Amino acid sequence: MKRYFLGRLIRSIFSIFIVVIIAIVMIFGLIPKEKVFENDPQLSKLSGKPDDRTTYIYTRWEELGYLDYVTQADMCKAYSDDYNECMRLDVTQETNETGKVVDVYSNSEEGQKVIKIYEEQGYTVDYMTTGFAWASRDNSIFNIAVKYITNMFKVDNPWAVTDPDNPDMDRSIYFGTDNNGMPALKCSGCEHQYLIYVDGSFPFIHQNWISLNFGRSYPTYSGSYTMDVISDQQGEYVQKEVTFDNGTTAMSSLDLHSCQYKQTSTLDRMDKSRFETNYANCKSFKSEASMINMSYIFGIISLIIAYIIAIPSGIIMAQKKDKWQDKLGMVYINVMIAVPSLAFIYFARNIGIMFNQPTKFPTYGGGDIRSYILPGIILALLSTASLMIWMRRYMVDQSNADYVKFARAKGLSQGEIFRRHILKNAIIPIVNGIPSSIILCIGGSVITESVFSIPGMGKMLPDAINANNNAMIITLTFIFTALSIIALLLGDVLMTFVDPRIQLSSKGETR
Amino acid sequence: MEENKFQFVELKESAAEHIAAPHYSYWKSVFRRFFSSKVAIVMLIIASIIILMSIIQPMFSGYVPGQNPNINDQSMKYLAPSLEHFFGTDNYGNDLFDATWLGTRTSLFIAFAATFITTVIGVIVGAFWGYSKKMDKFMLELYNIVANVPFTLVVMVLMYVLGRGVSQLIFALSCTSWLSVAYFIRVQVLIIRDREYNLASRCLGTPTYKVVIHNILPYLVSVIVTSIARDVPNYISYEVFLSFLGVGLGSSNQSLGRMIQNYSNDLTAVPYLFWIPVAVSAIISVSLYVIGQTMADASDPRTHML
Repeated sequence: MKRYFLGRLIRSIFSIFIVVIIAIVMIFGLIPKEKVFENDPQLSKLSGKPDDRTTYIYTRWEELGYLDYVTQADMCKAYSDDYNECMRLDVTQETNETGKVVDVYSNSEEGQKVIKIYEEQGYTVDYMTTGFAWASRDNSIFNIAVKYITNMFKVDNPWAVTDPDNPDMDRSIYFGTDNNGMPALKCSGCEHQYLIYVDGSFPFIHQNWISLNFGRSYPTYSGSYTMDVISDQQGEYVQKEVTFDNGTTAMSSLDLHSCQYKQTSTLDRMDKSRFETNYANCKSFKSEASMINMSYIFGIISLIIAYIIAIPSGIIMAQKKDKWQDKLGMVYINVMIAVPSLAFIYFARNIGIMFNQPTKFPTYGGGDIRSYILPGIILALLSTASLMIWMRRYMVDQSNADYVKFARAKGLSQGEIFRRHILKNAIIPIVNGIPSSIILCIGGSVITESVFSIPGMGKMLPDAINANNNAMIITLTFIFTALSIIALLLGDVLMTFVDPRIQLSSKGETR
Repeated sequence: MEENKFQFVELKESAAEHIAAPHYSYWKSVFRRFFSSKVAIVMLIIASIIILMSIIQPMFSGYVPGQNPNINDQSMKYLAPSLEHFFGTDNYGNDLFDATWLGTRTSLFIAFAATFITTVIGVIVGAFWGYSKKMDKFMLELYNIVANVPFTLVVMVLMYVLGRGVSQLIFALSCTSWLSVAYFIRVQVLIIRDREYNLASRCLGTPTYKVVIHNILPYLVSVIVTSIARDVPNYISYEVFLSFLGVGLGSSNQSLGRMIQNYSNDLTAVPYLFWIPVAVSAIISVSLYVIGQTMADASDPRTHML
């Protein structure tokens, strides 16, 4: 059994990577790189300045991993002993075809030598209007994929920070307490101050040790890491009383557990008055849940409602097979399967309007229960049909089994047979589906979240696609794929606990 | 009793071998069974009307998506449904009746094309998959990888990569879904292949093609029809859903999903603009689903015995 799970786990991880690599190859290989600027308002502001435009475009492309971009200053720093000589431009005046006198720049010999080195390395060299050279070299798709995969997992360590202004920084991991006096595993020299810490919010023990990294989001949420966009809280800042390291208390929205290292040169007076160490780059508490949590909240709400509705009605349908209850249920199931989900969502939303329910999540925000009722019910109803049909199917299948006939012969009542015998056997495949239905809630809520403007992960995918946000699409591909594969694995594990007869490994090594 | 009153009957070899079974034709039984359902007949009529309208009407309407000939004519804007404009007009003065049928045609075309492609590839691959042990190992691994990836994600990322358009959407919808059809068929083939009646046929010397045509195919037909009945409404739903989110078709195409997306802003002010395409998409998928389900039941030979 252990060997089976180990093999299964390795194959699951392998398939996650395969899917992510395919996504990377497709996105970077098939989409022209000019497309990332389609929705960028910044670029149109630079239309009159060709040099700034080139710099902007190529720095973006380098950030996104498409190519390597170097300016003449970079080249001279890297390959020349005499920086000033390398950067020197000779100006001559020439008359062009229209008879105008224009300045023509040419690089010094030292500069030309350095540029030549880059040309030999496969860079294409071009010149700005100021006469300085710049060069770029496209990365192969293979390199891009390798870069993504190798940078994906970031493990924080005491040698992660380099700060020239703070040379004799202590580099160690140690146990300490946080500002509330709770135990925490702290670090000096890491990116994060708290590696493991405890607080009052679910799941109570948190970590900053290992983090996922998919690069920065662009053009929407420009500048932030894609993982931060998804997992950081949203909305308004929430201020509360905070006791800082050096004992000062102030009203602040800072989340001290999230503090990261700030370079000494960028520390301001405010930071120095609050923090004793350089860990002053903190995230803030905000009023709304993060995108991941938002989707999970809705997923869990709808899951509970769906199971509460679907399991009993499936049982009733099986008990009253071919009676009106069963027929009514079948009509409901068929309608739910056949009607496009978008049509159903709008139809249900219109019914909700009659009961004065809000049609958009931001109307009341995350703090009000009314924001959750309608989307939660709609999400739940969308998943009831398949649950009901399977529940009925399993129950009907089980009721023809021999042990049921035996139970009837023993003289048990119909209700007892259903409750004690059939239900216990029929529920097993349903249990198998519970972990994956948690995931399906996130995937399936793409449309509900869009209709109700819920700031969740599901809405993020079409938004990212419409904005050409490549890094975000790859991030979401990884998360969705990983979640569903892990959910499937968990479902199988859960099934073996519920029903000890089930052996996942085909050979049955234990017997 | 005299002997001359009797006549001797010759013993016929062929008649002795003949088994007196009632005449049975598979397809006749299928259609008899199908037309015995009144709901299915009503749905068939509705679906035929919608399909015929969507084929014929756009030929004569002269409506081209993206061209707005009445855009400057204020009197044409937001006309309520009337005899002249059955479904009214929108904010550009376009007739919604024309737009709806063209949109229905696109949506239906996408759904049928994607279903056709996935079914053909799925059945062929699935049949081989069920028979070949070597292929089974490889295909199961492939299936395990692909089936675990959310379909919405696959379609959306593919649409992003390939760009917006009808053929791209058909490709994106059928790119991975043929695999699940193939898996479905594989399981069925595995079940039927070694059934006793097939074994008996083989023992009696029936040639393989006859076993395939008379024993396996009728059973597979109902399975395939079931899968088609599920897929067509599903793809219509997907087209609507993707175009609504803006990752489906581009502005040069009209489809039900695009119409729903365009008119979702008019939901409160001019509700009919939004509800008509929604209703059409719901009616077409419900009727096709019911037809498909009834057809699937009717094509199952086990129901013919009654």
